[in-house]
Amino acid sequence: MIDALRAPCYALGMTMAGFSTIAREAGLDFWMALVTSLGVWGMPGQVAFASLYAVGASLVIIFIAVSLANMRMLLMVVSAADMMHLGAHQLPLWKRVFWMHFLAITAWAHVGMAEQKYPSHLLLAYYQGFALTIFTFGIGGTILGYFLSDFLTPDLLRFVIFITPIYIMLMIINARQKANRLAVVIGGCLSPVFFPFAGEWAILLAGVVGGSLASLYSRYIAKWHLEVEA
Amino acid sequence: MIDTLLADQTDVLYAWLAVGCAIAGTAVWRFVGVVLASRIPADSPLMGWINTMAYAMVSGVLMLILAHPTGVLATTEIEHRFFGLLVGLVVVFFTKRLIVSLLFGVASFAVAVTFF
Repeated sequence: MIDALRAPCYALGMTMAGFSTIAREAGLDFWMALVTSLGVWGMPGQVAFASLYAVGASLVIIFIAVSLANMRMLLMVVSAADMMHLGAHQLPLWKRVFWMHFLAITAWAHVGMAEQKYPSHLLLAYYQGFALTIFTFGIGGTILGYFLSDFLTPDLLRFVIFITPIYIMLMIINARQKANRLAVVIGGCLSPVFFPFAGEWAILLAGVVGGSLASLYSRYIAKWHLEVEA
Repeated sequence: MIDTLLADQTDVLYAWLAVGCAIAGTAVWRFVGVVLASRIPADSPLMGWINTMAYAMVSGVLMLILAHPTGVLATTEIEHRFFGLLVGLVVVFFTKRLIVSLLFGVASFAVAVTFF
């Protein structure tokens, strides 16, 4: 929780305030913006939702686009559950689903960092404190952002919104395992390349291609190490 | 009068349904993730692969936010955003200190946006 109270909570609060601004421009009322933050809790999907809502897209399109933008949740939930040894805690299914609702990029990346510092049986408690703290700040940001967007100068706001993507990027590039670091580099390079022709699919493509390349490369290297040792 | 009232109600219904679609579109992945997580053995090659894909996908999302942002971030130049990222990466590479490199990255972005 102390980790969360440093940089990430304020940056995330401002990012969510940024979402509120977009949501308000799109024509969503306050309660809709709030329920979206509470219920979705995944920034790229929320932005996709607000921009599609603004142009009056059909419900099917909204569902598909948000699913695509937030598909990484599947991988992040599996990966976080693995790091925290969620299975060893013997929680009922609804409790596991409940806690994973608060998992988004920031909390996931922090669990990855904490894995290097704390023993794995403490990670779930770490995650619960961390995720709830930033969730509170994120929701606070959504509420404030809806009403304060007129008073904050855009000049200042854009610096603050810049913090979250850079922060997460610096964190995941320091991942413990080399294969994951390589995946960050490849995935990051590929998605802007895919974007012009693939749109929202670019994220999925970059993830699958980048991740697979990184995995294959590291397995090849691992084998090569074995051969040297032998 | 009644027509506009009805139209307003349809709009509100559409808006709430749209919010519901956004929530469902995200919740489905978290749910499947929880169910799958208990079935995939830890330390297996499959788990390793899922991890690399998660990292690559998150990195891809972030790069798209930096390359094609929406909202106020779109009012800045792409060169400035990537300059900030580059400074942050270089500092974190040499110092290994997260907050220090974050400060450097954001500060150099702010300087670039303000003065160039």
